[in-house]
Amino acid sequence: MHLTIPLFIPLAAGIVGLLLPRGLARWASLAGTLAVLGYSVAMIVDFDSATRGLQWVTNETWIDTLGIHYKLGVDGLNLFLILATAFLWVIATLYAAVREWDRPRLFYFNLGLAETAVLGAFLAQDLALFVVFFDLMLVPFYFLIGAWGRGNRVYATTKFVIYTLSGSLLMLAGAVALGVLSTPEGGQISFQLSDLTVHPVGHGTQVWIFLLFAAAFLIKAPAFPLHGWVPETYRATPIPVLILLSGILSKVGMYAFLRIVIPIMPGASATLQELMLVIAVVSILYGSVLAFSQDDARLVVAYSSIAQLGFILLGIFALDPKSAQGSVIQMLNHAVVVAGLFVIIGVIAARARESESLERLGGMALRAPVLAGLFLIVALATLAMPGSPNFVGEILILFGTFDEKFVYGLVASVGVVLAAVYMIRLYQRTMHNRAGPDVASSDLSYRLDLPALAPVALVLIALGLYPQFVLHRTEASTTPKIVRAAIKAGSDPGPQHAEATTVKGATP
Amino acid sequence: MSATTWGWLVLAFPLAGTILLPLGFKFWPGRLPGWIGSLTILLSFGASLGALFNIMGEHPEQRSHYDTLWTYASTAKFNAGLTILVDPLSVFMCLVVTGVSFLIHVYSISYMGGDRGYTRFFTYLNYFVFSMLLLVLGGNIVILIIGWAFVGAASYLLISFWYRRRTATAAGMKAFVINVIGDVGLVIAAFLLWNKTGALDWAGIFSGAKDAFSSNDGTLIAACLFLTMGAFAKSAQVPLHTWLPDAMEGPTPVSALIHAATMVTAGVYLVARTHPLYELAPTAADITAALATFTLLYAATCALAITDFKRIIAYSTISQIGYMMLGVATFGYQFGLFLLMAHAFFKALLFMGAGSVISAMGGEQNIDRMGGFRRAMPFTYITFTIGALALAGLPIFAGWLAKDGILGWTFHRGGWYIALGLVGYLTALLTAFYSFRMVFRVFFGEPVREAQLLEGGELVHGEHRNPLSGEEEDTDVGFPGPEHHIAEREATMKVAMSLLAVLSLAGGIVLIPGVTEWLQAFLEPTFSDSGFVGSHVPTGSEWLGLGVGAVAAAAGIAAAWFAYRARPGMTLELRDRFGRVHAFFFNRWYFDELFDVIFVRPTLAVARFFQRVIEPGVVQGVLVGGATGVVRLSTNFARSIQSGYLRAYAGLLVTGLFGLVLYFLIQSS
Repeated sequence: MHLTIPLFIPLAAGIVGLLLPRGLARWASLAGTLAVLGYSVAMIVDFDSATRGLQWVTNETWIDTLGIHYKLGVDGLNLFLILATAFLWVIATLYAAVREWDRPRLFYFNLGLAETAVLGAFLAQDLALFVVFFDLMLVPFYFLIGAWGRGNRVYATTKFVIYTLSGSLLMLAGAVALGVLSTPEGGQISFQLSDLTVHPVGHGTQVWIFLLFAAAFLIKAPAFPLHGWVPETYRATPIPVLILLSGILSKVGMYAFLRIVIPIMPGASATLQELMLVIAVVSILYGSVLAFSQDDARLVVAYSSIAQLGFILLGIFALDPKSAQGSVIQMLNHAVVVAGLFVIIGVIAARARESESLERLGGMALRAPVLAGLFLIVALATLAMPGSPNFVGEILILFGTFDEKFVYGLVASVGVVLAAVYMIRLYQRTMHNRAGPDVASSDLSYRLDLPALAPVALVLIALGLYPQFVLHRTEASTTPKIVRAAIKAGSDPGPQHAEATTVKGATP
Repeated sequence: MSATTWGWLVLAFPLAGTILLPLGFKFWPGRLPGWIGSLTILLSFGASLGALFNIMGEHPEQRSHYDTLWTYASTAKFNAGLTILVDPLSVFMCLVVTGVSFLIHVYSISYMGGDRGYTRFFTYLNYFVFSMLLLVLGGNIVILIIGWAFVGAASYLLISFWYRRRTATAAGMKAFVINVIGDVGLVIAAFLLWNKTGALDWAGIFSGAKDAFSSNDGTLIAACLFLTMGAFAKSAQVPLHTWLPDAMEGPTPVSALIHAATMVTAGVYLVARTHPLYELAPTAADITAALATFTLLYAATCALAITDFKRIIAYSTISQIGYMMLGVATFGYQFGLFLLMAHAFFKALLFMGAGSVISAMGGEQNIDRMGGFRRAMPFTYITFTIGALALAGLPIFAGWLAKDGILGWTFHRGGWYIALGLVGYLTALLTAFYSFRMVFRVFFGEPVREAQLLEGGELVHGEHRNPLSGEEEDTDVGFPGPEHHIAEREATMKVAMSLLAVLSLAGGIVLIPGVTEWLQAFLEPTFSDSGFVGSHVPTGSEWLGLGVGAVAAAAGIAAAWFAYRARPGMTLELRDRFGRVHAFFFNRWYFDELFDVIFVRPTLAVARFFQRVIEPGVVQGVLVGGATGVVRLSTNFARSIQSGYLRAYAGLLVTGLFGLVLYFLIQSS
């Protein structure tokens, strides 16, 4: 296994597509995404789940003076995120490939570049390298939304870029500060995460660097109240790009909390735990409430994502091994269901004169029973019905949160109920009730829709039957990431959680 | 074969039906899906019998078998397998569930015949039975929660089966959301138990609880009350009951299967299953018993006043489950479970009879418009009356032995439980009254036009209008009206109803105090750790309880006869004189309105507040530089660099990186 290969396959496929005739670019791109998927499946097969450290490490010095390394590695934490990335790119490319796009070669080139950037962010084991890939992600998405979007796309992309760019710049400042300040006296500067973990910076410094990172990741997630870019961007983004934006980009920040922020800044993570938990819980409630008051189907899913990412954030900052595991599997689950939901919204819009307004939809189940059936599976998984993989994520998150911070868990439980409200509402307003004025429904097309939708449903069923497949492989890597922060949080108990003094999960 | 192999087979057949039926939805001919769906349940019933004979062949103390198919989720001390538990309680539940479900499937073969969603209907029905069996067989609380949520989903799908009716989808939403509230209760309870016992499987929880908790430990009481919350949501007990009457929007066999015979009794099963916890936390058990007693009285008063045929039976279900809950929460498990079984028989029968009559009325459900069907529908009349007698609790019927067994048990427990028992007897009187209110209003009196036509051999066709909302019915998906299948004309409906009538009459044989105590003996191994199972009620006091119940039932029936047959008009006078009381009962004590005011409206108000104030004001406005916010900033920004925003972006990045490099150069020198 050599990690540079899957990392650059998508970009290479994109470049090949640029050189091919217009009609063939899509197939080059699809072949690239399938190759990455195959590679990531092989990685899971070959993965040694007992090993705690990184596997298949590539470590080359990139910029010697600045101590920047081209260091890639895989452990349980990013193994399934790489799979999710590969899978969602296949779904998005399949969805795109059977439809027509202006300037297809550029379109597919940007998709490929985006995949390489995201994979890079997930694989990077050097902070500077991570920052490079993290910022690189923005470029193809800027073009994909700005050039192939719909409606008020210029306004939307500008807002999206300004928002996320300001976050990126804050993180850049934080990253540089971290590298410089953690360099030991007379030592060589290094951005490798392993080095940064060994040389923590002082507590006060940690706190403000933590805040810089958190701002970047929470904007990207998005979390309340930094989600201002969401409504316009989601409305403007074409469906295949939206699958990736909502399914994968949102996870990079969450992943980085576990990979970078908490292990390197355990003290600040413990100190600011309550702040993050409040943001998480408010995101859950706020996102859920807004999700059931939207008329635009996309925005229902958009706000539901804010709520779901709130759950993931909650699981991470409960600083408990169970909830961290729950968050890791939930990142995968949420990526899959979001892909399904946006494909379905695309399919619905195609049968309703491009309308995505719930007021004008409805009653499609009669003419589209297969669509209704698959939608049902995806909708029930999204609301984390027990039996779905999302339930496993959610129950682990809740158990961990109850264990550490019972009250936050109770408040988050309200979000579980609200999720039922907004998902069932979305399902009924599209599939059930009277046929809306725009609806001219016909069932799924085997060529256009099923290739993208059927794999989503199958993965959800398989993960629902055997979630241990994921948990087993992630466990050895997840727990150590939060242990130090958990101990710090426990050793400095606030007034209301005296029981946390017995450190949970201190066992390696 | 081992008992657990039988257990897996019990699950496998309905699951196979659930997968097989939709795959062929385009090409199944005629009523084949109905027969396939029924066959899978029959096979499942056979497998349940296999499990029964298997464990009966074992020593009573070794009749509890766990089996794990694979590890479901195991991480950081959270340990749940895909595990089933086959023991007398779960086998008992499997037999009741598959037995009654099979008859309801058979009834549906004709009743739903011709419905556009025929295959879909049997898919959902099979899925429901699978879920219910998973619930009762689940060997740990996680699998129980999965089955628990699956039955909720199946119930949702079946309530909104005619999904073009707005009333049906609204009812489905309500049922689903209240069920999720119950699920959350179970998850919290599971955490509280796991946190102290470290186990998720039943045996581990129970043995751990004995060590971890002293009697009436606060955490344990909280855990039990959260379990009660889950049980009450599923079993439609006050205050989580409001979804069940609305759930009558589903096809009548659904009302019989899910909302009378099986799913709603899951809460009773849960309390029985977790009885060691309730016995360790008697305060929680007492609260549960008190709420159940309130529920049984409350629902009976509603059933006295309302006029929708199916909803009367629905309130009667709520009331009867109140009795079962009272039984298991006062630790009289065998009686509570006995009523669970008997109720499954007679309540399914009552719904089937009601379905037949409603078909004859062309979809009309208001009993004010019914009357005189005795001669037009003799078979329905006889079987419905048998069901009503069983519900009223007249001697020798199963309902009598079961319900009054519970009340006799409360007397035996003594203390304040006697008060609960007295409320139970008062309600028994009301139960008999409203049971025969239905019989007399529907089958006696002057035949209505529909009954007269039916005597002449003609089935009426109702109006295609939803009586609840006034909306024109959608003929594509269907609605209750156009299906005209009455028991008199359909063999499978007759078979199902006849068998249930026999069971309602004779099912009580499994537990006659002092004579046959088979049920008690069979269930005993499951409850052997109970402090109450040994304390048999002395047969004398049991018979006394049964005697009082018989008098109450007879008095109720007599009162109904007096009110509706001897002096027809009397109830109208009463209603006029006690208008307020009637309105209070008729409007179900205004629970729906109350919840609307305290939950629904505030939530919607919060949503509007977020949407109109926070979203534009705080998120878009304040956060990025006050009123000028990101909106104006970004538009101006975009306008000023029309030539291409990327250049600015690249410029920024390059400037940043340049600054960075400069900084390091200065640092390192």
